Amino acid sequence: MIHVPAPDPFAVFGLQRSIDLDERTLEQRYLKLSRECHPDLHRQKETGDCIAVLQRAAEINDAWKILRDPWQRARALLELLSPGALERNKKLDPMFLADALELAEEVAFASVENVPQLRTRLSGAVASDMQTLRAQLARGDVDAAARTLHASHYHRKALQDLDAKS
Amino acid sequence: MSSEAATPASPRLVVGIDLGTTNSLAAIRAGKGARVLRDADGEPLIPSVVCFHPDGRTLVGREAKAERLTHPDRTVFSIKRLIGRSVHELGDEPKRLPYPIVAGERDLPRVRVGERQWSPEEISALILQRVKQTAEQALGQPVQHAVVTVPAWFDDAQRQATKDAAALAGLDCLRILNEPTAAALAYGIDGSKDGTALVYDLGGGTFDVSILRIDDGVFRVLSTSGDTHLGGDDFDELLGQRILAALPRVAGKAGALEDPYVLQAVRKAAESLKIKLSSAERADLQLDLGARGAVTLTVTRAEFEAAIAPLVQRTLDCVQRAVKDAGLRLEQIDDVVLVGGSTRVPMVRARLRGMLGKEPHTGVDPDLAVALGASIQADVLAGNDRSLLPLDVIPLSLGIETLGGAVQKLILRNSTIPTSVTEEFSTGVDNQTAVDLNVFQGERELAKDCRRLGHFKLRGIPPLPAGLPRIAVTFLVDADGVLRVTAREQRTGAEASIQIVPSFGLTRDEVRRMMLDSIENAQADYVAREAIDVRNKAEAMVRGTQKALALAELPPDQTYAVQKAVKALGKLLAANADAAALKQGCDDLTKVTATIADDVISAAVAKALREEQQGS
Repeated sequence: MIHVPAPDPFAVFGLQRSIDLDERTLEQRYLKLSRECHPDLHRQKETGDCIAVLQRAAEINDAWKILRDPWQRARALLELLSPGALERNKKLDPMFLADALELAEEVAFASVENVPQLRTRLSGAVASDMQTLRAQLARGDVDAAARTLHASHYHRKALQDLDAKS
Repeated sequence: MSSEAATPASPRLVVGIDLGTTNSLAAIRAGKGARVLRDADGEPLIPSVVCFHPDGRTLVGREAKAERLTHPDRTVFSIKRLIGRSVHELGDEPKRLPYPIVAGERDLPRVRVGERQWSPEEISALILQRVKQTAEQALGQPVQHAVVTVPAWFDDAQRQATKDAAALAGLDCLRILNEPTAAALAYGIDGSKDGTALVYDLGGGTFDVSILRIDDGVFRVLSTSGDTHLGGDDFDELLGQRILAALPRVAGKAGALEDPYVLQAVRKAAESLKIKLSSAERADLQLDLGARGAVTLTVTRAEFEAAIAPLVQRTLDCVQRAVKDAGLRLEQIDDVVLVGGSTRVPMVRARLRGMLGKEPHTGVDPDLAVALGASIQADVLAGNDRSLLPLDVIPLSLGIETLGGAVQKLILRNSTIPTSVTEEFSTGVDNQTAVDLNVFQGERELAKDCRRLGHFKLRGIPPLPAGLPRIAVTFLVDADGVLRVTAREQRTGAEASIQIVPSFGLTRDEVRRMMLDSIENAQADYVAREAIDVRNKAEAMVRGTQKALALAELPPDQTYAVQKAVKALGKLLAANADAAALKQGCDDLTKVTATIADDVISAAVAKALREEQQGS
């Protein structure tokens, strides 16, 4: 089974491909597109629930899902800018992976009083990843950006696991 | 699950229907608000109960509910708990119901009444038919289109089964709407108040919670959670256990549990205890079951609350999960909306208030809110209102089985619908022309822990070496939350045919067959109703003409002619003549009175005037 990528979410929203999107503008755009294309508001045209109308509404919802999350947005952007960049740069530095493993263990065995401190640390790491990623994308260094995206996955996963604990 | 594309035209009259576990009702948009549609007695709630009376009549609603104790094994209620599920999944649920449930084809539950077996869809259709009739009487015009609500937590199979029930009832279901979303619409009718709302819906049999973001008329569901098997009926069940425990061992406990009469009487008593405990600190029960024993019992609210506390906690866990899934914190909820009769239990309100730190809204009757909201969505679909748009989510992830029995998730829960994903499949052996796919819904990793919605067979794949065919399969979840699957072979561009075998509910063939049956029945129903109508009309004519004769002072020959015609019609009525004969009798009487109508009226008026003057 091979995943067939969804259509370019930036194109669906009629936006320039960029990592920097204003959240409020994006949301307004989503609501506007939904009003224009949702099958419920188009019964009069007798197109009703036909597949094409549903497919267009689905595209808008699915593009919104990608664009509103900066990490998914970055992933989509990378795939569009340089198809295969993510696949090419899957291999991470063994030193980094060792650190990531340690971090995961720290989260798994964190005591209640250590949680807030650990959360601050992890949030910091995730924020810093995003900053690095933006800079790399701005420079057009897609390979470095792809590696950052992969590496950041470990930080985000650790943060998620920490949240699930409390 | 469906592979058909419906293209209904835009209808003008669309009602909203709340098809509940305990009660059902319809509502319609009226001006800026909405109103529920009531029956001739002014009652909006139709009990979701069907009784197959031994005398051959099929009773629905209040009349059926009244038979619960006299014919417990023929009176079907809580059918919503069975719809779209298998007997295996129901566990010991059927044992707790006084009517017999048997396993039909594909292990699907059937209600057995005498020789006949009824599917949950057919029972639901009978309830929907009654709702439809009540709406038609209240509106004075035929109703063909509806928005029908379901718990947000309903999966694909349960939604499809509900749509099938509507079709069997002769209703075109334009949209399946989630109950909490409907309730939110009822509370924010003009959508002018932006913010984040939490809808807590605890009904008779199901619990739902949804978090919505309301933004300039767009009602966006951020997350939903719930439990299809948690509701006020479970509170009753706990009280019922106390009553059963207090029942003397005359008939033997095991005997009491098997006795549908006892089960039903205890259920009824438990419900009344619960209702009393919503306003009083303690409630007394005196239950006399004749030869089966008698119970005197006092339950305090504290005892009741201790018993239901674990259930209430389960609902609060769902609330937590929904808030978290929405990416919010508890304090970011602006409004709390209560729906469902069971939110009248004080403990539920208190615990929710404690958790969210806000007083829940109770402005709209919790029993009516869902239908009212559905009618607002119905008005949108009718094309009358373009200011509102509800955007809902899929409650459970959808995936397909991969090698080793794992489930590869294709669409994640809480994705806004419609949503779609396309995957490419190939063949494993040379010249393979068909591929099987098993579709699952649920959050667990292994197929055996999820619900298998059905089985897709992709056919018509060109015979090629293994791995060469490329079949793109698109899984599209439509705005009803129902999955539609299409497939295309990428090299040839040929549309691959898909055969769907649903694991639950009815196959398309079964629906078609039942539709035909119901059309035949509808014809019989029509004839029966017409006979009643004609009879009523004839009776009214006899009474009316006799009154007019008494009032009017007609010449003897005319009086005689009219009396003769009235007598003839009276005789037909007494002899239980058929509709055609009664119609003829009515026509004959009309002919006689028509020629003298003016005289009678003027004479009657003259007489009335004279009496008036004498009186003053």
